[in-house]
Amino acid sequence: MKQRNRKYLISLAFLSPIIIMVSIFFVYPLIKVIIMSFQEWQVMGESRFIGFSNYVNALTDGEFWKTLWNTVIYAIIVTPMIFIPAVLLAIALRYTNKSSKFFRTIFFIPYAISFVAASYIWKWIYNDMYGILNYVLISFHMIDNPINWLGNTWLSRIMVSIMVSWKTLGFTMIIVIAGLQGIEPQIYEAASIDGAKKSQILRYVTLPLLKPTLILALILSLAGSFKAFDHFYIMTKGGPLKSTETIVMYINKVAFEYYNIGLGSAISVIFLIILLIISYLQLKAGGFNNE
Amino acid sequence: MSKKLLITLILISAFFLIAFYWAALTSFKPPSEVLTYPPSFITLNPTFEQYGKLFTTADSIFLRYVGNTFMLCGLSISMVLIMSILGGYSLSKLTFRGSNIIFLVILSIIMVPYQALLIPLYDLMSKLGLLDTIFGLSLIYATYFMPFCIFMMKNYFSSLPNTLRESALIDGASEIKILFKIHLPLSLPAIATVIVYVFLMTWNDFILSLIFTSSSEVRNIQVGIMNFATSRFTQDWGLINAGAIFSIIPSILVFLLLQKYYVEGMTSGSGKG
Repeated sequence: MKQRNRKYLISLAFLSPIIIMVSIFFVYPLIKVIIMSFQEWQVMGESRFIGFSNYVNALTDGEFWKTLWNTVIYAIIVTPMIFIPAVLLAIALRYTNKSSKFFRTIFFIPYAISFVAASYIWKWIYNDMYGILNYVLISFHMIDNPINWLGNTWLSRIMVSIMVSWKTLGFTMIIVIAGLQGIEPQIYEAASIDGAKKSQILRYVTLPLLKPTLILALILSLAGSFKAFDHFYIMTKGGPLKSTETIVMYINKVAFEYYNIGLGSAISVIFLIILLIISYLQLKAGGFNNE
Repeated sequence: MSKKLLITLILISAFFLIAFYWAALTSFKPPSEVLTYPPSFITLNPTFEQYGKLFTTADSIFLRYVGNTFMLCGLSISMVLIMSILGGYSLSKLTFRGSNIIFLVILSIIMVPYQALLIPLYDLMSKLGLLDTIFGLSLIYATYFMPFCIFMMKNYFSSLPNTLRESALIDGASEIKILFKIHLPLSLPAIATVIVYVFLMTWNDFILSLIFTSSSEVRNIQVGIMNFATSRFTQDWGLINAGAIFSIIPSILVFLLLQKYYVEGMTSGSGKG
């Protein structure tokens, strides 16, 4: 009994720095943001509770819906642009040997760099006057006049998504490769002994067995695109005409430029609920807890 | 690998690397060659002029950004290492009733994006007097980059046999000794993953530094590059590309040196399905 108490005390002592950090910098702000979303917040003096007013304001605010819409549109555009090439590359590079290791490294490198550096590198490629993209397309007579790639609503969404696909598909590829390597080789053997063709094996054996991994990768990329901030802040500043302003950019603007803390908190809570729904789907699909 | 596939892969790799090449080339061109049309695909007079400018303009403020970022990395890596080693050991070998709840709370940080907590965190930091300080910012990094590392260390320690600890206990060793003398030397791959992960997350962070710091003596390299890019009427693309290329060198170096552990560690928690 004494020894068990000792073990318990040591364990708690080891955990104490974590418990302190998590309580101060996570649990407290989490509770606080919910409280703040029901308050009219004052820098000086008492904040007072105003019920659901902030939520009513958020839900009747045109710009909130616009940024939510922008974020959803971006997620819909970017997800297949990351996903399809990542799965194809994963299938091509699933066997571990020297050359596949080399290619995996190349495709993964952009994932290690910052969104800021990646954004500026691609902004320079897209530059309407001196950019390499316009020059190459004009040289091959694919376009007649230089295009302002980031100056048009839909085009800018697509061009930013191309950059994001370049930057992040290596990560998705690695997850899918890990999933592919988790499939028992005997299953393939059994299928080919039964006379299945290569395409049939892919369709009826590999893809169904890979489904949980694919769903996990899909949800991770969905959650990532909902949190988008850096690249839009740098590449488009939310423009043109606020068509690429994401929800995190809007939270930032409402809170730290307009100083409307109550409204910002309400939008944060709504954003939090959306992300929790996505995380819930991830757990159901078997994310971090499928030991 | 068939020939057709190999050629396809080489072409895709070229597309991947051309973006880096174009940025690096621009950064090594003399300033007069940067804004020319048609653009040149090689430069006959490579120069470090842009990098010289990067490090000397505005009283060498860029050097300050780099130093700040290394300091932030050092602080957040040490904090996360201490917490994830102690926490991972406790949650795998010293479990008690309530361990699971603590672990679930830690994991829930992964689910809750810090982007939703910027407002209360700002309020908290200002009350604690930590706003616009390197130490304050590193505390936020440590809190939000730690959960994945604890998760990974816990899994790693769990994979080591319990008899390791039990036989050492019979020999009269203390828990601290068992952890640092026996378990830690066996866990170097996991520790390498923690270091790479926290380094990359800290070095590449933009939004947290943007919001929780305001004076240029404290800001990190990513916000610094943005300051350089937006402080002039016309964007100085030679300078911006030099900043971008310089900033990605440490990320790529750390990643290449430790990629074996990093990729294994990253997928160990997510790849099973």
